[in-house]
Formats: sequence, structure tokens, C-alpha cells
Amino acid sequence: MPHTMAEKIIARQVGRLVQAGDKIDRLPISKVFFNDVIGPPAIKTLERLFGETFAKHGKPLRVFDPRRVFMIPDHSLPAFSVAVAEGVDLMEQFSREQGLRCYREGDGIEHVVLIEDGHIVPWDIVLGTDSHTCTNGAMGALAFGVGTTDGAYTMATGHLYDFVVPETYQFELIGAFPKGVYAKDLILHIIGTLGAGGCSRQVAEFTGDAIRRLSMDARTTICNMAVEMSARTGIMPTDETLLGYLKGRAQWPVAPLVSDPDARFANRITIDLSTLEPTVSFPHKPANATPISGVAEMMAASQARSTPDFPAVTSDRITDAFLGACTNGRYEDLVEAAAVLRGRTVHPDVSFVVIPASRRVYERAMDEGILQVFVKAGANIESSNCGPCFGSHMGVLSRNAQMISSSNRNYQGRMGSRDARIFLGSPATVAASAIEGRLADPRKYL
Amino acid sequence: MLTGTVTTVFGDDINTDDIIPAKYLQQSDDPEFFATYAFALYDMAFRERCLATPASIVIAGKNFGCGSSREQAVYALQYNRVACVIAESFPDIFYRNSLANGLPLIVLPDRAGIAQGDALDIDLAAGTIVNRTRNTRHPFTMKDADRTTFQAGGMTARVRAHLEEILARQ
Ligand code: SF4
Repeated sequence: MPHTMAEKIIARQVGRLVQAGDKIDRLPISKVFFNDVIGPPAIKTLERLFGETFAKHGKPLRVFDPRRVFMIPDHSLPAFSVAVAEGVDLMEQFSREQGLRCYREGDGIEHVVLIEDGHIVPWDIVLGTDSHTCTNGAMGALAFGVGTTDGAYTMATGHLYDFVVPETYQFELIGAFPKGVYAKDLILHIIGTLGAGGCSRQVAEFTGDAIRRLSMDARTTICNMAVEMSARTGIMPTDETLLGYLKGRAQWPVAPLVSDPDARFANRITIDLSTLEPTVSFPHKPANATPISGVAEMMAASQARSTPDFPAVTSDRITDAFLGACTNGRYEDLVEAAAVLRGRTVHPDVSFVVIPASRRVYERAMDEGILQVFVKAGANIESSNCGPCFGSHMGVLSRNAQMISSSNRNYQGRMGSRDARIFLGSPATVAASAIEGRLADPRKYL
Repeated sequence: MLTGTVTTVFGDDINTDDIIPAKYLQQSDDPEFFATYAFALYDMAFRERCLATPASIVIAGKNFGCGSSREQAVYALQYNRVACVIAESFPDIFYRNSLANGLPLIVLPDRAGIAQGDALDIDLAAGTIVNRTRNTRHPFTMKDADRTTFQAGGMTARVRAHLEEILARQ
């Protein structure tokens, strides 16, 4: 019987054939990781819920497998408060005791560093205490965001409980991007088409000829935003590009994985990349997407029919720009933005923050002179972490702000004041808009 | 039986940033702390309405609790005495987090006929909502396993039993 990638992965983990809808009481997990927001309370929850159970068996509290558990302080680093600093202390101390890997502050964002370090491979089931854990689907892993309690359960036993095998929504990508159009534009377009709940409870599988031509950086951008249409996760098939990326990098055995062509998909849609334009999402949700040529129309619509998550936008001016985040802070993203910005300057009214998503990205961009382009243009470069995307430091927005951001969420108040307006776009669109001080089409700079 | 008053009616796609903004998440490990900041940027009167009511019920449209995986969103509701949330649909992460903490979530495809201020009696076992204010009845379905978990306040007992099995084998 034919199966989807998701069904195959779960079947291998539980040792029997499964299909969408099957209930799995105990699902064994391959990797689990924690950030500084959920890591500290999860460690405390683990001790509170299970400390006695270990003691009863005369054993010290131990995570199920220290090689498969990771602590990654990345959201609020360098620490912006005493509470954050003490949370990171706890993660470091716990990691030392348990013999597991705790990343250093500034090493980068959780959804970037584990992939770079070869910890995520096809067939993995990955849990992360963050909704953008779906990013890891670009590696052919089945990756789910979870909360504190599920994370603590998994640390204790290595399992996720009461899991239902999800259906799959297949997106077949064909054609090639026109100049100035990127993976970010594609995923914003898809989310705009399906809506914020359009892929709810289903795995978004991205497949088709066009995928083969996309780099790993582009693939992670697409999977990263699957959760913005409420997908259970995103996933992509194994091909030569992925195998090449994993060669010499993978810390775990690699085996290819694709869905059977005649597997049962809940939905299927084909998207021709050559028909796309640079795309931006209007506040306050990623699903408010429009091609850049439709900005004026979208502004008029927002004034005529404003709602709590589609507020009136009365100007296309930009006061703040952010290039970074787990969506678009990777090497190629910086290269694409630098291509627009090279030899130009940031508009005097714009504060432009650039954050390479990991230390490796930072170093490479530094060595290749890419950071210089940003500095000379008038941008501020910060150490590798979530930065303004998490709304607590390194570029918090005032009530008057209108930001263009390469991140994944433009919810009300996400990056500061509830009155600020956040637009989402590709790195090239961010750079073009930073130059002009208004929402701008990057194609004229390429 | 759950009994409460509808203190809030939301539209579609309420996200967990709306429920509890990021800037409060790392200020405390005490679940009760987050109640103070529930909907702090989205609906500033939410907490006031909850405080004036012994048990609140939140009604919402599609996709309530989408976005971030922050479990603090569940605490922010529970510690404002929200007895349950009734919505057209819930995405997975929020649903799992609510299961883990025993905050009942009820899927009701058609919520017409339930309004702010209505007094509801909810029978999880029978799968019925009785609107005492309007004398109407709304049936709903819930998976048996989920009902058991909501009523038990989570699945920790089962996980502990599994851990016992694992430790006994070692
Ligand atoms: S960069 Fe933003 S979306 Fe990504 S993990 Fe950090 S806070 Fe979350």
C-alpha cells in the first residue's frame, strides 16, 4: 500500500504500517530541543513531575538519551533581563549534569544551528518547544512544535503521547522563479491563498520539479512558514541537493525518503513559480498577502474593510527594517539583500537591523565582505539570535513604526507597540524598502 | 458538568501572541503570573471581565490559539478562571497544550445562538452545551481519549506509568 512521507516515518518509528487518522499511544521521538523561553520551565516541570519516580527506583533523574536532547538559548540573548540570564544558567547547568549539548549564546537560532550541525536527518521525528520547528521538515524530518509539558514528557521517556497520524496536503511546485522573486514570496503567496487556518492539522508536503532547483536555505524558508497556515508541519522529499548538504555534515545515518506517488493526499495543488511576483504580507497576519504591485489596492481594502487582524494602513512609508530570523537570516538571504543594497544607503528615516541567523552565517558573511555592505549602507548588525522577531529587544517598535521584516509573523504587538504595523517580505524586498523608506519592489535594483 | 458565563466572543485566528505577549514569557515560571497579562495588547478588558465572573467561557471562530507554541497561553486563560473555550476549530499545538493542562476545548462548528453574557451548562460526557439564557441546546462531539485527558487534567499519570516501565527494565 502506498504511503506519504509522514506515514512512512511514523511507521518506522512504531514498527508497523500506519495511515492518516491512526492513533499512536506512544510515539518514539528522534530529537528534542528547547529554547530559552521554554527550556527553563520544562526542566523544572521535568523535575517536578518525574523527580520522585526516578528517586523511587533509586536512580538519578536522567533524560532519555543525552545525545538526542539539545538546549539552545536563542530568543533573548545576550540576556536582556536577570530572569533570562538565570534561565540560561539553568539550561547550562542542567546540560552539564545530563551530558547533553547546550549551545552558547550567539551560536544562533534553534531552527538553524541543529541543521547546520548535521543533527537533523531524513526519517527523524523532531520535537522543538517552538512552533517554527516545522523548519526542520526541509531535511525530510517530521518536525513538530510542542509546549512545555510535552517537551518535559519527551525528556523523561523519549515519547510523545496520544498522537494522531496526520493527513498530508501536497504542494507541487513547478517552473522557476522570475528575477527578484524568492522562496519567501512563494510561501507568503501560498499562505495568502489558503488562509491562516488553510492547512490546519495537515502536513504540508512541498514537492515537484521546482524544489530540485531550490537551495537548502530556500527550502528552510518555505518549511519555516508552514505553521502560518496552521499546518501540523512542513516536509520535503530527499534529493541530490539534500544528500549533498548532509555529506560530511550528518551526525546520524542518512537514508533517502519520498512519498509514494499514489499515496493518499488529503489535498493537492500545483503552483507555477514563474507566475509569482515579489509578495508582502500586510499587518496583522501573514495570510494578508499581496503581490507588491497590489500594495495600493491592499491599502484601500484595509481602509474600507478593516478588522482586528487587517487594520487600516494609511501609508506605505517604512520606519524600520529587519533582516534576520529563522525564516530569512541565512547566508543566501544576506547575499540577496546585499545585492540590492550594495553601493546604496539606507533611507535616513529607517532603522535597519541585520542579524545573521547563526554564528556560522555571521562568520561567512563577515569573511566574504557581505556584512560590510550592510554596515556601509547604515545598518546595525547584532549578534546571532531572534532579535526583534521576539519583540523584546534589539529593535522594539514604537507606536508610530511601520516595519518591513524578513521574519515570519506580523501579529499585532509582535515586535513592540500594539499600534506598530509590520509587513513581511523577502530579504530583497526588505533591502529595497530600507533604501526607499517605503514598501518597494526589489526588481528595479537587480 | 462545567458551568460558566460567556465573557468573551472572539473572531477567527486568535493567536497565542494575542493571548499572552512574548515580553512576559520569561518574567516568571509561575503559571499564575501570566493571568495578569492575558490579552494585554489585544483585549485589555479581558481580565476585568474574567475577574468579575466565577467561571468564564470564551467563544471564538476558527483556528483559536494558532501561532506560537507557548504553553503560557493556556495558563493565562486557566488562571483567569476560564473554564473552557468553545471555538469552530483549534490548531494542534494549542490543542495539545490544553490537553496537557486540562483546559477543555470544545469544537462547535456553528456557534450562532451563543452570545456574550449567556450562562452555559456544559456536559463533557454527554456532549451537550445547554444555553440557560436562551433555552437552546448545542450538541458537540469529542474523542473519548481527549475527554478522559481533559477530565484528568492532563496525561502525566500515564507518562509516569510509562517511565516506571522504562526504569524497571533498566
Ligand atoms: S526568529 Fe522569531 S520565529 Fe524564529 S524562533 Fe526566533 S522568535 Fe521564533
